[in-house]
Amino acid sequence: MIWLTWRQFRTQALSAAAALAVFAILLAATGPHMASLYAASGLGGCRGGSCQNLAGSFEAQLQSTAIYPALYLISIVSILLAPAVIGLFWGAPLIARELETGTSALAWNQSVTRTRWLAVKLTAVGLTAMAVTEGLSLMQAWWAAPLGRAVTHGAPAGALYQGRFTQLIFASHGITPLGYAAFAFALGVAAGALIRRTIPAMAVTLAVFAALQVAMPLWIRPHFAPAHRAVVSVTPGNFAGGATGPGGSTLTLVATSLPGQFGAWILSSGPVNAAGKPVSTTPAACTAPTIENNLPDFDGCLTSQGIREAVTYQPASRYWPFQWIETAIYLALALALAGYCFRRLGRRLS
Amino acid sequence: MTAAIATQGLGKRYRRLWALADCTLSVPAGHVVGLVGPNGAGKTTLLSLAAGMMAPTAGTIEVLGGRAVGGSAQLARVGYLAQDAPVYAGLSVGDHLRLGAHLNPGWDAGLARGRIGRLDLGLSQKAGTLSGGERAQLALTLAVAKRPELLLLDEPVASLDPLARREFLRDLMESVADQDLSVVLSSHLVGDLERVCDYLIVLVASRVRVAGPVDDLLATHHLLTGPRRDPGSLPAGVQVISASHTDVQSTLLVRTDGPVLDPAWTVSEVTLEDLVLAYMSQAAGRRRRDHHLEVQR
Repeated sequence: MIWLTWRQFRTQALSAAAALAVFAILLAATGPHMASLYAASGLGGCRGGSCQNLAGSFEAQLQSTAIYPALYLISIVSILLAPAVIGLFWGAPLIARELETGTSALAWNQSVTRTRWLAVKLTAVGLTAMAVTEGLSLMQAWWAAPLGRAVTHGAPAGALYQGRFTQLIFASHGITPLGYAAFAFALGVAAGALIRRTIPAMAVTLAVFAALQVAMPLWIRPHFAPAHRAVVSVTPGNFAGGATGPGGSTLTLVATSLPGQFGAWILSSGPVNAAGKPVSTTPAACTAPTIENNLPDFDGCLTSQGIREAVTYQPASRYWPFQWIETAIYLALALALAGYCFRRLGRRLS
Repeated sequence: MTAAIATQGLGKRYRRLWALADCTLSVPAGHVVGLVGPNGAGKTTLLSLAAGMMAPTAGTIEVLGGRAVGGSAQLARVGYLAQDAPVYAGLSVGDHLRLGAHLNPGWDAGLARGRIGRLDLGLSQKAGTLSGGERAQLALTLAVAKRPELLLLDEPVASLDPLARREFLRDLMESVADQDLSVVLSSHLVGDLERVCDYLIVLVASRVRVAGPVDDLLATHHLLTGPRRDPGSLPAGVQVISASHTDVQSTLLVRTDGPVLDPAWTVSEVTLEDLVLAYMSQAAGRRRRDHHLEVQR
């Protein structure tokens, strides 16, 4: 059975190995240079406030080359897309193609039960899927490590690296890629077993996987643990937005970072008055154009009027617990889908 | 002796449609059994159930005395060649033999290689490039070389040209002679069955219309021609299977164990094809009559 699995999966496995190799070569060719830039930036031994400046200039240096931002984006997107591609091209055809071409009657009439046939295939291809995706993720993490350290030192959260709780980073680093790969693969196989035709099964796999990947960060992940709430004063470094609308009457303030909570995942934020009630209008005292157009003055004026910012967030320390929870959810779903495949194959298929 | 296939009230439903309903039959082992019937009689479903490809919706089916949907031991005893002889288009002929060798403990590598050699198939040739006849031969090789006790063939020659058809059947007969195999072969072409089968089952709408050794069937069925008269006037023990009348003459296909002595009838031999068609049209006529009655009610 292992021989047959390998023989049927050979082409896909070799393509995956080739993709991994290309990925590795690209990152290995540029990674050392980035590391040397980091070493030269002096960030390694900095103290206090100078770190922030050094980090900023390091990031600016990377931004100025076209290659790093491009590679960064490509590598992250590859990691995010890998599970979907695996679900579509490895998962969906696994059973559906056999049924479509009638070869299931050949495969399942050998002296090997269908349960064993499926168990070997799911295990071998599923583990490969997980290994490939996590391999991409680990390589990228190694390559992007200097960036992460620069941000820890206080580089402004920019286009390159926006903190590890943001969707792009959270979903492409740590252990979540393992869960996504296992889930997408099992989803593809189950869709194929249910629909019995490859192309529709691929479409369903893509739709369901994409829907869950959107729903997870928007509506599910924020509730893994009760969010913290903090009310902080408004300072230029932490908030974007300001007074808009006719006469500058509408007040919007969006928290970009939280003092003393570096790397926290900010779920929602908005200005509140001294009584703690949300406000949406700019206090009249602060609407003068001279104040409004000068951010420190404007923020100072808001503070003097008792306006503060209420923020709900997940602290940075919850990064790993959240990684575990999310991975566990996806792995559990993958196991449930695999169980469905066994039941379906055992009973109903011809 | 254990039956090759024994079913009791066997039924299989696809969604709301019964492909096979309340089918009770017994297929003896040690024969080359022809399973014949019109399209939709349930032949494919019956063989697929017997091969353990799916579980029945109703009733029971035993194959060689064991559960049809059994473990690997049961799978090893039954070879199954599905309709259109599926093979992996992307795998070579050699790969298929390796597949068989890896997945079947009883694999007879010498037999498989010998057959492929005789068929003049290249081991490196992709199965997708084979002709229909070659593909069927490759699939048969896989089914035979695992050394089953029972071989189930679903319309194995339906898509082959006459020459390939003859070769395939001749080849099948050689395997049967060499290996002491029981075979159940479905077809709606009586001509093919006549050449290879020694036992015949006519299945119409999940019902067995007639079953028995071909020689017995031919010996007990007769074609009677004579002046037109009511078939009811025949002596007891003579069963009319089909009757057609012109103004002056009646032609009857009858079943009887003894000789037909009435000199008014000219008695002649029936061919297997006549016999099968008579049973099939008898069933069709009965269904039409049922339908007619329903309409009148």
